[in-house]
Amino acid sequence: METPENNKVNAPAGAAPAAGARPAAVRPAAPAAPAQPAKNLCEPKTVEPAALRKEMERLRRDEQMDFLECLTGMDWGEEGGLGVIYHLESTATGKRVALKTATTDREHPYLPTVSDLWDIANIYEREVYDFYGIIFTGHPDMRRIFMREDWVGFPFRKDSNPEKDNPLRMTNEPLTDLAPCYTLEADGTVRRSETPIFGEDDYVVNLGPQHPSTHGVLHFRIKLEGETIKKVDPILGYIHRGVEKLNESLTYPQTLALTDRLDYLGAMQNRHALCMCIEQAMGVEVSERVQYIRTIMDELQRIDSHILFFSCLCQDLGATTAFLYGFRDREKILDIFEETCGGRLILNYNTIGGVMADIHPNFVKRVKEFIPYMRHNIQEYFDVFINNVIFRNRAEGVGVLSKEQVISFGCTGGTGRASGWHNDVRKRMPYAMYGKVDFKEITRTEGDSFARCMIRMDEILESLNIIEQLIDNIPEGPFQEKMKPIIKVPEGTYYSAVEGSRGEFGVLLESRGDKFPYRLHYRSTGLPLVAVMDTACSGNMIADLITIGGTVDYVVPDIDR
Amino acid sequence: MFDFSIVSQWIHGLLTSVMPEWAAVLIECVLVALVIITLYAVFAIALIYFERKVCAFFQCRIGPNRVGKWGLLQVFADVFKMLTKEIINMRNSDRFLHNLAPFLVIVASMLTFSCLPWNKGAHILDFNVGVFFLLAASSIGVVGILLAGWSSNNKYSLIGAMRSGAQIISYELSIGMTMLTMIALTGTMQLSEIVQQQADYGWNICRGHIPAIIAFLVYLIAGNAECNRGPFDLPESESELTAGYHTEYSGMHFGFYYLAEYLNLFITAGIATAIFLGGWAPIYFPGLDGFNDVMAYIPGIVWFVGKTVVVVFLLMWMRWTFPRLRIDQILSLEWKYLVPISMLNLVLMALVVAFGVHF
Amino acid sequence: MNEEKTYLGGLLGGLKTLCVGLKTTMREFVTPKITEQYPENRDELKMFDRFRGSLVMPHNENNEHRCVACGLCQMACPNGTINVKSEMYETEDGKKKKRLVSYEYNLGSCMFCQLCVRACPHGAITFDQSFENAVFDRSKLIKKLNREDSKVIEKK
Repeated sequence: METPENNKVNAPAGAAPAAGARPAAVRPAAPAAPAQPAKNLCEPKTVEPAALRKEMERLRRDEQMDFLECLTGMDWGEEGGLGVIYHLESTATGKRVALKTATTDREHPYLPTVSDLWDIANIYEREVYDFYGIIFTGHPDMRRIFMREDWVGFPFRKDSNPEKDNPLRMTNEPLTDLAPCYTLEADGTVRRSETPIFGEDDYVVNLGPQHPSTHGVLHFRIKLEGETIKKVDPILGYIHRGVEKLNESLTYPQTLALTDRLDYLGAMQNRHALCMCIEQAMGVEVSERVQYIRTIMDELQRIDSHILFFSCLCQDLGATTAFLYGFRDREKILDIFEETCGGRLILNYNTIGGVMADIHPNFVKRVKEFIPYMRHNIQEYFDVFINNVIFRNRAEGVGVLSKEQVISFGCTGGTGRASGWHNDVRKRMPYAMYGKVDFKEITRTEGDSFARCMIRMDEILESLNIIEQLIDNIPEGPFQEKMKPIIKVPEGTYYSAVEGSRGEFGVLLESRGDKFPYRLHYRSTGLPLVAVMDTACSGNMIADLITIGGTVDYVVPDIDR
Repeated sequence: MFDFSIVSQWIHGLLTSVMPEWAAVLIECVLVALVIITLYAVFAIALIYFERKVCAFFQCRIGPNRVGKWGLLQVFADVFKMLTKEIINMRNSDRFLHNLAPFLVIVASMLTFSCLPWNKGAHILDFNVGVFFLLAASSIGVVGILLAGWSSNNKYSLIGAMRSGAQIISYELSIGMTMLTMIALTGTMQLSEIVQQQADYGWNICRGHIPAIIAFLVYLIAGNAECNRGPFDLPESESELTAGYHTEYSGMHFGFYYLAEYLNLFITAGIATAIFLGGWAPIYFPGLDGFNDVMAYIPGIVWFVGKTVVVVFLLMWMRWTFPRLRIDQILSLEWKYLVPISMLNLVLMALVVAFGVHF
Repeated sequence: MNEEKTYLGGLLGGLKTLCVGLKTTMREFVTPKITEQYPENRDELKMFDRFRGSLVMPHNENNEHRCVACGLCQMACPNGTINVKSEMYETEDGKKKKRLVSYEYNLGSCMFCQLCVRACPHGAITFDQSFENAVFDRSKLIKKLNREDSKVIEKK
């Protein structure tokens, strides 16, 4: 079933409503999009499901759209159908494209897979299947990913009533060993086949869900040969809270409260992304003071996150002492946060149109004390852990990811930059003050665990540089723009991204002009990092899985949104 | 120097005067066993407290400070808690072996513990192949660990146990080699004799100069690995295998592993003291007679425990500084570095002894 | 070990890094500790004044608060944490007015997003700095914020 142009949001006045009508040119998304009405408005080009494969292959091959930035499942209702929005970017030319496709068959929604073109699509399509029930034909592993295997129905559909069919189950979650695969036959029928995930005689070890070094409730099934890892099968969703679904019944200010609880080490940046998305959609310009404050806060948060990265890596590798050195320094940042924001982890600071409260009178002083303190103490990290021959041997050459792999898996942030991929959103799509401050994008080429660790250490220093440039020059101005009591976002589909602590954190907002978002999707920074674990770990040892898992730096609540 | 054998002979004489020889020996055996077990428990508790405090200070913390003054009673509280815990038997585990394993570990540890020369004349087990016995007895522990991993019916435990087996058996080699080096210097395998020589001629680490120092360092590393302590703690490697071979143990069965770990640390340090650092022999500087006399007044047991605690501190310092190695790195460290070094060192020591260039 | 390093060079280089590590930890060993002893330092422990401990409704010395029971906070709350009960009454001059009966706040489900405080047009509620909020029973987490017989401050 082809249902192009089914969404009124994307049918501009005067556009032909005829099925199959295709816009002539691919419209790039933000920031190059025309400034009206909002600079982050992305109008996805509609592609019919039948033509999707061909179009995708063309984009992948001919236009070198090698980075699948975001893949969002959508439910546009009875008439709009179930569909997907794809955000693509070419790492070579920087060109960006958004596409969408949909099917109105709600009983048997089939769409072609793109998981063979972009590795990351594998896990994204599983997510869409899990929440919307869209079956991607040709996908090799169409299992549920977040929900329980015995879940009835698809919770993100607008017409679903999850509580009716899914009472609180008191039984253990069954885990299937068979990966279903749906293939589209030549005659148009869909055939279901199943392939076992692990063989009969495989030695499979469960790492998690309760495990000291999975950084949260994450579950890996690992096939071992001796101590060598042959396959990693991540099982997600143990702490999935359905934040995206919750958002659909919350007003815009209320949705903000949940962003701090996604990646709790990127609370500032997550909330910044959502606020920015809503502000840009509404055409609100925040004052320069707010921009300065947000930039400084984002960078403090990044330092905080990277210190915790170091600490946890030490802990995972058995250097408990260095772990506490990191925590000692992180405490300083948390104090700075607490004084201004009133919270340490759940910061609750950015608001639509500004920030919750002006910076505390002590803020500038404390931050300026912190910069030399951190520059001095980071040397200790190198002395006690990073330069240590044991760590070097454990990290160098372990879990090497090539540039092609990280792009295909969409591993943004430090993990991608360690493999030589320039993916920093602060450089790609400058926001807040990042266009005006002078900073380097830290990249390395080795792509191994050690490079990933060093990227973070160098980014701490670079973040300190950014803060140093800004902290003395915070201009006067209001810290909160005047907003209407009830915030409504104009109709449209919007995408904004910030550089979170561990990669690109994107917000896709589809509004129908209500005070509630119609759909609010977060591009998780952690999901690609978990998806890449199989590739990164295969052939390494169990101990290396810990190193790799520590250095790619995922945070579970961000994966299980 | 006070000779403890005066006391033991006096007790023996007292007992034989009122009862037949065999009964006296029997009572002495029981007494010694009681003393050993008490000492074992006391030292374990002291060491756990010591480790927790030392580790805390390395980590910018204060450590236990709530139970009792400076947290002194913390470990007692922990032990009582552990005693009250249920010992859980796993379904599908090999119950007999599962229950036996901790005892093997603790027996091995106690046997080695009884070899320590505490003072002049105060040895529990002392015979002419003492060093040899020591090595043999300490190897029983690995059987306990392997059994624990095997019988738990847990994949983590099994991997931990296998790692432990590979590690301990490898490092036994270095330990044996360094001991051999020192035996080449002293010419005896009897621990009391080794220490006595050091009391007469000076500490082995000075007597044997370069080869002895190398042997001491190699021994420290290998000894640390023998106790499965960080950075060689990968049989239990908390962040990978949750708790390795003792994942499935609870209550006092786990407590035995815990105690054995700390006691093995003490024993390793104690042996290092006995073989390299002069055991109960006091510090002696030729020429400084007044100083030497004062030092000689301090009882031997104080010297022994003092030196051992210093070595224990060294080992803890290492543990709380370094990250954990990986299993292949552990083995390559042993086979590519420690074994060749200690072999060369043995040759070096042989030359030193043959040409008489030691002190 | 790196290929380019020789056996001995690698060994000595490695030992050097280990010694640097040992030196660092030893320096920390003798550094005075900064640990704060919590229950003992209760007197001098002061939370930052923006810290969000729990929601309170400040009353003045005449047992008066500022809440007019408009219910905006209740609507702003994403979690249904606040339950404002009000009643209508007739003033002396015959006008019908709404007044607060009880202001229930469930600390257990509050996520401290501050939307209620921002929504309040009269500044009637705020967060205080108490943090010792642990109780043994969940029902104790539901608090009534207005005091007994308290009244709203009359506008002059």
